[in-house]
Amino acid sequence: MQEVSHYLAPHHLDDAVRAMADGDVTVLCGGTDLAPQTGAHQKDYASTLMNIRRIEGLEEITLVGDTCRIGALSTVTDIGNSLLLQDIAPVLVEAADRFASDQIRNAASIGGNICNASPSGDMIIPLLLLDASVELASWTDAALRTRSVALHVFFTGPGKSVRQDNELLTAVSFTRPAAGFVAHFHKSGPRPALEIATVSLGVGGVLEDGVLNNVRAAMGAVAPTPIRARGVETALEGRPLDAGNIKAAAESASIDAAPIDDVRASAWYRDHLVRVLTEDVLNDVLANGN
Amino acid sequence: MMSLQTEISFELNGRPVTVTVPVTMKTLTMLRDMLDLTGTKYACGEGECGACTIRLDGKTINSCLMYAVDCDGRKVVTIEGLKSGKHLHPMQQAFVDNGAIQCGFCTPGMIMQADYLVEDNPELSREQIRRGLEGNICRCTGYTKVLDAVTSVVESSE
Amino acid sequence: MNGKTTIACIEKTTLIGQRVRKPDAADKSTGKTRYINDLILPQMLYGKVLHAGRPHANIVSVDTTAAENLPGVHCVLTGKDVAGLKFGFVRDNVALKDKVRCEHDEVAAVAAESEEIAEQALGLIRVEYQDLPGIFSPEDGRKEDAPLIHDGFPGNKSLHFEFRHGDLAAAEAESDIIVDNVFRTHHVTHCCMGTSCAIADFDNNGKLTIYSQTQYPYNYKMDLAPALGMHPGDIRVIQPPVGGAFGSKLDVYPYEPIAALLARKTGHPVKVAYTREEEFRSAPTRQPAVIHMRTGCKKDGTLTFRSADVLLDNGAYTSWGPTIPVVMMRTVSGHYRVPVIDFNAQAIYTNNPYAGSFRGYGNVQTTFATAQQMDMLADRLDMDPIEFHLKNAQKSGERTPQEALLRECALDKCLTIAAVASDYVNKRRQFSLLRGTDIRYRKGIGLASSIHNAGGAKIHKSDGCGTMLKVDDYARVTVITGASEIGQGIDAVISLIVAEELGVPVEHINIMNNDSDLAPWDVGVHASRTTFIAGEGARRAAIKAREQILDAASGFSGIPAAELDLRGGFVTRDDDGSIVFKLEKLLRKMHFQPEPELVMVTDYYEPKSEPEGANHISDMSAAYAHAVHIAEITVDTWTGEIRVDKVTSAQDVGRIINRAGLEAQVEGGIAIGLGFALSEDMQLEEGILKNPSFRDYKVITAPEMPQLDLHFVEDGCAEGPYGAKGASELPTIVIAPAVANAFCNATGVRILNPPLSPEKVLRALIQFREKEGGTVNSRAAAAAS
Repeated sequence: MQEVSHYLAPHHLDDAVRAMADGDVTVLCGGTDLAPQTGAHQKDYASTLMNIRRIEGLEEITLVGDTCRIGALSTVTDIGNSLLLQDIAPVLVEAADRFASDQIRNAASIGGNICNASPSGDMIIPLLLLDASVELASWTDAALRTRSVALHVFFTGPGKSVRQDNELLTAVSFTRPAAGFVAHFHKSGPRPALEIATVSLGVGGVLEDGVLNNVRAAMGAVAPTPIRARGVETALEGRPLDAGNIKAAAESASIDAAPIDDVRASAWYRDHLVRVLTEDVLNDVLANGN
Repeated sequence: MMSLQTEISFELNGRPVTVTVPVTMKTLTMLRDMLDLTGTKYACGEGECGACTIRLDGKTINSCLMYAVDCDGRKVVTIEGLKSGKHLHPMQQAFVDNGAIQCGFCTPGMIMQADYLVEDNPELSREQIRRGLEGNICRCTGYTKVLDAVTSVVESSE
Repeated sequence: MNGKTTIACIEKTTLIGQRVRKPDAADKSTGKTRYINDLILPQMLYGKVLHAGRPHANIVSVDTTAAENLPGVHCVLTGKDVAGLKFGFVRDNVALKDKVRCEHDEVAAVAAESEEIAEQALGLIRVEYQDLPGIFSPEDGRKEDAPLIHDGFPGNKSLHFEFRHGDLAAAEAESDIIVDNVFRTHHVTHCCMGTSCAIADFDNNGKLTIYSQTQYPYNYKMDLAPALGMHPGDIRVIQPPVGGAFGSKLDVYPYEPIAALLARKTGHPVKVAYTREEEFRSAPTRQPAVIHMRTGCKKDGTLTFRSADVLLDNGAYTSWGPTIPVVMMRTVSGHYRVPVIDFNAQAIYTNNPYAGSFRGYGNVQTTFATAQQMDMLADRLDMDPIEFHLKNAQKSGERTPQEALLRECALDKCLTIAAVASDYVNKRRQFSLLRGTDIRYRKGIGLASSIHNAGGAKIHKSDGCGTMLKVDDYARVTVITGASEIGQGIDAVISLIVAEELGVPVEHINIMNNDSDLAPWDVGVHASRTTFIAGEGARRAAIKAREQILDAASGFSGIPAAELDLRGGFVTRDDDGSIVFKLEKLLRKMHFQPEPELVMVTDYYEPKSEPEGANHISDMSAAYAHAVHIAEITVDTWTGEIRVDKVTSAQDVGRIINRAGLEAQVEGGIAIGLGFALSEDMQLEEGILKNPSFRDYKVITAPEMPQLDLHFVEDGCAEGPYGAKGASELPTIVIAPAVANAFCNATGVRILNPPLSPEKVLRALIQFREKEGGTVNSRAAAAAS
């Protein structure tokens, strides 16, 4: 296991991305993923350990015009307590409430959660419903550069993303949803939180006169990455949100999902839960959309 | 073969402290092994049980996950820092009075979290207390008297 | 002048049944208490164990050279260092192995100057294994061609127990209904919050002091000694505060002699402490059992027979797990009045982790079967279910077929109280009427009861406990008891009892019980015996002290001792409470008189019970008790999730001593039982644990605990202190079948294999629909087809 030979805790983004230029950096934030992963020897440290918690300007949640920007250092608690998000994207608050435990929410950063690229990312599901994008910063050609990547193409496999080793995720942002947009998030399990989801699922759309438009659906823990459930979206788009279409959506969800057997559940059970959760979420959307 | 160390300075239980720590050491290990504050417990080391709960800048976190270097410039409170003077802190007294302590191993973490919950929301319902303690595992009590203790603190402050 | 001073009077009060603060609670609440896990000794080294990580293998070679040469390493030990030092119930274990029989087997051990160095050294040890085919079920273990796990145990057979009473064939013939099922219980583990830890320290006279989490310090010396080639008398056991035990520390486990061997070799104290992952893999489990049970009754509800054929997964070594049939057969023969009994149990060695003692000790597994079969019979009989239970409930004075004398039996009261408090009969009927519908969220109510030892268990040559008590010149009392405090609150109970007898404040009593050189013998914390036996011992000792004090008071005052009492720190008249002496002044008077008298007394209390003989016919406990649980649940038939909404408990406790402590033990016991019932499951695949963490081994958390309605029956108990009976295991024993019965009430489906996890529940519901053509969960069934 490699030894860390250099430690830094920059206060400015420039300094942080400069330090990452050679790609040999392990980023440290709340430690809620890094600690258990290095402890279990699933992950090795790079030669530089960089604590990004003191970088200024990365923990705000703002709405500028129609763009809502959540700084990468915002914790899950910050998201859960945000009056702004409760107003414009309550599904994020809903998911935050189901995330791990209070102690973990207080430490886990949204940037870390996204970069961890877990197939079951609880916070990622609602962000996918919101068509979110992530901002990646790097020091390239002697300057600070940023690029934006849509979240639905960000993940490439369990624990893997398109983020390069020299890039730092600085924010996740989304356009404020249209009026009438309703979205809900459900996670399986008898515990309210403290649970790595066996299945997590969210659906949202603009409900007008009983018809659901601009449908977004996303699922976690049923594929190598969190995914947009395209089949569900097609099954619901532009159609009345009624019992028959809800059932059809549940069927589509089962087709969209590709669950595996693991220590938490069998693929069979996950498939079953996908259908049930789809119905439950859509019934919530129906109940709260008017 | 020395791992890289760095010096950090922070406020610990109301007093300034400076200590040199290996950069990959967790706060829990620093507290227990270097600062002789053994009230905060190791029970899982992976943030699943809450026995290592401390306050960092006022919020509770699992110290087994938090890197010690991140304490630099911040304010840490452990179970040893809860009471001031000769009397127990009201939450500690409530646990004692309500029979909420058996083996007591989970107790420091449980009290730290309970105190944070009540401070954050003084009108907590019993259901909200249950949710708030979901990250603190206890094997002895079945949580019932813990809920009684926390409820008694909420009620006495009304 | 006739100035008559008013003499103060003290009223007679009692502490029995009151709520007493646990003496160590204040220190525990501040983090001041130093648990064994927190202790450091001067010059101490850190010991770490190399676990095999494979279930069955010959160890071909072990190369420790690189590890030994790592700076900071003081020694490395392997199997060759302990050749011949066998220990264990049947002497089938050694501290460091010559052969691997389960994944946590200890192949080597390192002592180093820090945990990090010790960990690194483990990584430098080279072991060559020759993997052998593994056995992962008792059925496989007893096959003819199965490989032998231990030499000297042909057929992989470990312990065997049987008990028969009456004519089984005749009883079967006269039965109108017979229920016949195979129950299969699973591996669960204690999950003490404090992981396994021992610190060993040899002095320069060759004597060992071991800081241990043991809950049976005296026989622990006897069991540890052979692992070290020592005499038990040369071992001193110190018991610091521990983070739970629940039965897991009723035997010697390899990490303990390993700590001692490392200490002996290095000349330094050595601490071995497990990580949580090691704990999950290495700690003892509850004994898994395959129970083929049959219960018969007549159509008027009278039980006719009960038979149980039990196959136990012994695991790799024999600890307390395979001895559970001694308790299992007591449930089979004593749970309700059953005239004919047939019991047979065989443990078979496997390459799975091995079981120790775990709260409930075999009765959890057995009651899961007996209480469900009682419920099945209740379903089939055309009578009120409570009438059925009451018809078969024993009465005070009855004996079971094993000759257990139920001196004071309150099963009938417990049944009635619980049923009335929960409106059981009405709800049971109401909920079952909805079984044929397709409602998603179903409510169910289930009843279960059981019987357990409540006055110790004479499974060893003595079931006694020694007590020494002194009252000093300041009227402060020290009670030195053999009973161990493992968090269960015996410190509070003894303080309360002694305060009651000596009339001093509870806060003036100091309990000392953590040094085997100081404290007298006790057989250990198990079998729900500690309040009964240690409590009664403390009471007897306190009475001796009281008599000595009142005799002295009588001598000094001229008032007969029979007319005196001890109250509030004073000697008073018994009739009107008027003060005669301040107690501490009297004690100093006794001390400093020409023939000095100090108050120092001893007691050894052996309860009136008969040894558990080889024929298993004996009154092996001084008392027995029952509990009834009624669980109310909601089942989400679409996801299989069960939520337990409420548990009504009625338990025969004889007499409440510390009310707060008793409630706490019942609440905690239910939580452990709920975990067994719903969510805890060690997922072993070919002997390897797949979920060695709290992330995937689900213990009950705060939001999952139901509302509890606790009732206690206090009909006394002739033998117990103030009439108290042991109580702490019954709550764990009874809750799981109550939940399973509630599930059947809600859905019509029986699940015979815990845990009733969501996936298992869902599969069972779908299977039921397919077989029975019912409409439960038609959505899921449609989806599954």
